[in-house]
Amino acid sequence: MSPSPLLVALSLVAVLATGCATRPPAGDPEALAEFRETNDPAEPFNRAMYDVHQGLDRAVLRPVARGYRTVVPQPVRTGVRNVLGNLRSPVILLNDMLQGEPRRAGDTLGRFVINSTLGLGGIFDVAKSHFGVPGHTADFGQTLGRWGVGEGPYLFVPVLGPSNPRDLLGFGAGVAADPFFWVGQGAVVDGLAWGRVGATVVDTREDLLDPLDELERSSLDPYATLRSVYRQRRRAMIELRPGAEAPAGYGTGFGIGTGQDQGR
Amino acid sequence: MTKTNRRVLLSACGLALGAALLPLAPMARAQTDPARAAAFIQAVGQELVAAINNPALPHAERRRRVADILRQAVDIEGVGRFILGRWWRQATPQEQQEYLRLFEETLIRNLAARFGEYQGVQFQLGRTQQRTEDDVLVNTIITRPGTAPFALDWRVSEVGGQPRIVDVIAEGTSLRLTQRSEYSAVVQRNGGQVSALLAAMRQQIQQLAAREGQS
Repeated sequence: MSPSPLLVALSLVAVLATGCATRPPAGDPEALAEFRETNDPAEPFNRAMYDVHQGLDRAVLRPVARGYRTVVPQPVRTGVRNVLGNLRSPVILLNDMLQGEPRRAGDTLGRFVINSTLGLGGIFDVAKSHFGVPGHTADFGQTLGRWGVGEGPYLFVPVLGPSNPRDLLGFGAGVAADPFFWVGQGAVVDGLAWGRVGATVVDTREDLLDPLDELERSSLDPYATLRSVYRQRRRAMIELRPGAEAPAGYGTGFGIGTGQDQGR
Repeated sequence: MTKTNRRVLLSACGLALGAALLPLAPMARAQTDPARAAAFIQAVGQELVAAINNPALPHAERRRRVADILRQAVDIEGVGRFILGRWWRQATPQEQQEYLRLFEETLIRNLAARFGEYQGVQFQLGRTQQRTEDDVLVNTIITRPGTAPFALDWRVSEVGGQPRIVDVIAEGTSLRLTQRSEYSAVVQRNGGQVSALLAAMRQQIQQLAAREGQS
C-alpha cells in the first residue's frame, strides 16, 4: 500500500504530460453527453497505463496468484483473507463513524473484538459464522463521496487498478490512518508491514482470477467494461446499496470487490 | 470448490443473462405491477433452471430451450437498442437488423457456454420494489453447489402489454449500462463504424460456440 502516494503523483504528472481524449464538438450533443458520462478525459493515457498493467499482470501478478491458489489450500487462503480483512477494521470503523453510521460502526467494532480474540487474531470469522454479523467495507473515498465530493476524472493505475482522484486520495488517507501501519519500528515491523502489502496484492489478485479471466474472454473491450463496472460499483457503495459491497474491500482499484471470505 | 466470488456473476452470467438489458424502445409502456413482475420472474426462473439442469438433454437441445425462454422473457429489441445507444441511428437498416440478430445470439450463446458451471443452480425470490412507474426491480438469490449464494436483481418492465426483463443487476452493476460502454468503445475506437462492432460480435459468437463444444 505504501507505494500509492508515489503512484498518485506519477499518474497525475503523466496525465498532465500526455494528450487527452478529444472532446466532441458542441454540435454533437449526444457525443458530448456520452463523453461526459464516460468521464475519461485522459483515456489515451489511461489505456496506456492499462496496457502497462496487463504486461505486468501477465508476467508477474497473475502467475503468482495462480501459484498461490495451487499451492496453498483454500482454508489457509480463507484464513489469510480474514486476517487481512480484520487488520482493516480500524480504518473501516473510523469511516463508519465519519459517515454517521453508528450501527455499522458497532458491527465493525464488535467484529474486530470477537474475531481478534475468539477468531484467533482474525484467522476465523466467528463474528459472521457464530454471531451472524457479516463484515462490510467502508473507506475514505466512499466517505468523501457520501459527503458530496465528486469522483473526478477516471484514472487507471497499474497494479492498483481502476480509480479516480477522490478514491486515490481516500486510499492514501486509508494508509495514513491505519494504526497497524505506524505501530513500532525496526526491521521486524517493516518486514511485517511489507509482508502485509505483498499478501494483500496476492490475495486480491487470487480473488480476481476467475472474474478477470472471464472479463478478458468475454468483453470486446475489457478496458471499457472495467471502467463502467468500477464507476457503477463505487456509486452503489456510496449509496450503501445492499449487495454492492464486500466485507473488507480496499476502497479503490481492483480491491473494491475483494476481501470477502471465499465461497464454500 | 472453485471459489466463485460474486463478481464472476457480474462478468459471467452478467454479460449472458445480462444482455437482458433495457427496453428503451420508446413505445408506450403501461404501468408495471410488482406482483405480476415477481410472478413473471418466478416463472421464467423456473423454466430456465429446468432447462439448464437437465443433463439428460443434449447440449444443443438445452440451448434451443433456453433460447426460446429468453426470446419470450427478454425485451431483446429494446435492450439491444439501448445498448447500441447513439450509434443505432448511425447504423444502416441492414446493420440494425444484423446487430439485433447478433445481439440475441450473443445473449443465448453466452449462457449456453456456461451450462456446465450452472449445473444444480437454484434461485429464490426476494423482495420486489417498484422503482419507477413502469419499472420494477425483482431481487433473487442464486445458489449453486459449492459456491457462495449471490444476489441478482431483475429489472422488469411492461413492453407491449407483457412483462419483460430489461436489465440484470449484480453487485450494484447494471449489465445493460456495462455493455453499452463496451459496445460504444468498440464503435468509437473504430472510427464510428458500426460494422466494426458487428465484426467483433461475429467473432465473439464463434468463440462462444467453440467453448460450448468443449463443455
